[in-house]
Amino acid sequence: MICSAADREPLEQTRRRVFLALFTALAVALHTLEALWPAPAPWFRLGLANILSLVALFLYGGQAAWTVSLGRVLLGSLLLGRLFTPGFWLALGGAVVATLVMVVAHRLAPRRLGPIGVSALGAAGHALGQMTVAWLVLVRHPGLWQLFPLLLLVAVVAGMLTGWAAAVLLERLESHEAFRKAG
Amino acid sequence: MNFLWRRMTAADRLVVAGLMAAAVAGIAWVAAAPPGRRVVAGDGERVLFVAPLEQPREVELAGPLGPTRLMIDQQGARITASPCALKVCMGMGPARRPGDLLVCLPNRILVQVEGEAEESAPYDLLSR
Amino acid sequence: MPFNRPLILLLLMLLLTAAWWRLQPEAASVQRTQLLMGTTVSIEAAGADRAVLERAIAAAFAEMARIEALMSPHRPDSDVSRLTAAAHTATVAPETVEVIALGLDIARRSGGAFDLTLGRLKSLWGIETETPRVPAPAELASALQGTGPGALSVSGDLVTKRSPQLAIDLGAIAKGYAVDRAIATLRAHGVPSAAVNAGGDIGLLGSKLGRPWRIGVQHPRQASSVLVTLEAADRAVVTSGDYERCFERDGRRYHHLFDPQTGYPAGRCQSVTVLASHAVLADALATALFVLGPERGLALLRDYPGVDALIVAADGRLHSTPGLAAVKAGPS
Repeated sequence: MICSAADREPLEQTRRRVFLALFTALAVALHTLEALWPAPAPWFRLGLANILSLVALFLYGGQAAWTVSLGRVLLGSLLLGRLFTPGFWLALGGAVVATLVMVVAHRLAPRRLGPIGVSALGAAGHALGQMTVAWLVLVRHPGLWQLFPLLLLVAVVAGMLTGWAAAVLLERLESHEAFRKAG
Repeated sequence: MNFLWRRMTAADRLVVAGLMAAAVAGIAWVAAAPPGRRVVAGDGERVLFVAPLEQPREVELAGPLGPTRLMIDQQGARITASPCALKVCMGMGPARRPGDLLVCLPNRILVQVEGEAEESAPYDLLSR
Repeated sequence: MPFNRPLILLLLMLLLTAAWWRLQPEAASVQRTQLLMGTTVSIEAAGADRAVLERAIAAAFAEMARIEALMSPHRPDSDVSRLTAAAHTATVAPETVEVIALGLDIARRSGGAFDLTLGRLKSLWGIETETPRVPAPAELASALQGTGPGALSVSGDLVTKRSPQLAIDLGAIAKGYAVDRAIATLRAHGVPSAAVNAGGDIGLLGSKLGRPWRIGVQHPRQASSVLVTLEAADRAVVTSGDYERCFERDGRRYHHLFDPQTGYPAGRCQSVTVLASHAVLADALATALFVLGPERGLALLRDYPGVDALIVAADGRLHSTPGLAAVKAGPS
């Protein structure tokens, strides 16, 4: 997608927007796929959609990551007919904390933390966010928190796997000139 | 596992190790933590019924004289009905703390709250 | 999939730690409750090995059941029942001898305030049955005939009654004895810390995990209040009160601690709490003090320097031995 060489800046922006839209769409697709997947417990999911948030984060920065994450939750819930249901709030809570943690982590250590580390942290944040929402909205029983360590463990493992997928994807994408950073 | 390891920086490995250690520690802590308080009802020898104190419910315990009704609610565990003559058991008040007892001697029903005793209780035993 | 060596080491270490942690003998505190001797008996024990504690507690309960079988008036083959049924003498177990001997000693020293021979009186009142009643004065006089410290004597394993109708009642004193036997059993099993609570008769073994046991004393008039909290270790605490085992008839309340002189429930005290080295002694003294009242009761205790007592008189005033102040728990 190489256009006139004169307007470099708007070109970059347009490119960004288009790709973010693509990422979001892919994230929604993955989110929907996962939602339809049979799972042992409703919260024990891989979080495949997070792959795209990670890619957006590493390619375009924090704001892009927020766009993809929030967009994915809103559109995904809309599509599945789960907007404003408890499941929606759970997903939103998880996504917000996860994205926050990932953006902050990436900003603090852009070179030293790779996608797997950031993803693991994001997964932990996701688990924490979901637990908090569940506690506030669903189950006020303190016994709920007894589930957290196990949930955390599963989340971290899932985070490592999605982080790996994101790392592989980033490798491929960064070698393509469409994603070369400006300047 | 190598496919993961190759793509992890030193900081990544540190973060992952730390998170997993925290999770495992948390699991161990939860597993070791004292279970919630239980209401155990029996006839002095056998256990007839066990339930967590936190969940409200009502149950009938069978004794030689008939059924004794036990109610568990926010106040604790109480006997609300019993076929004994003096109904002493019904006046025993809600049992809440570990060690609290409800007894219907004529009907041979013994109800006890079990759990970790809190050190903050004013006394260990009551002499009466 | 090639495994990474540091990760395997980490996993192995985690596994070993978990295994070691699980294999530690569980330092534990165990509490068990049973219905015995017409009341709830609760034994709690703490120590290094849970299995040992469970065995010790089971043995202690078995021992208490054995004592109950010897001294219960409700069992036709118990020593007490045989003694009551006997015309003149009966051979009894050494435990029964021990209890009767102690009871007779206290009976003499208390001038008859403590009495082992009130079996017929108790049956008359029916205080432990579902249908208690107030007997007529003539019935009381008849039931009291032949009772008193001189009515019974013991020599070797032979107990002699002065009159055939005499009915022995080891009532509360037997419960104290059973508590002592339970403590001895727990001690023999090597349990370092335990408490036996038989319907308010308490025996303590050692202290509770590094601090003395805190014993709350029931307030005689306020059901959910504690009169005072006492601290004790390796001691027995027994309370006799007019609020337990009582019934109401025509607006008056009758309880189960009878005055051997009148045949009616003793009225000089609301409750008496005694601390002594053994529960059987504390039990007997608590009953004696309840009947005697504060002044004569405290005078009796001068013969027992190792015993402390708290007496709530009928008017609600508190009397105590000089040593009681040292046993009161400070504000916690």
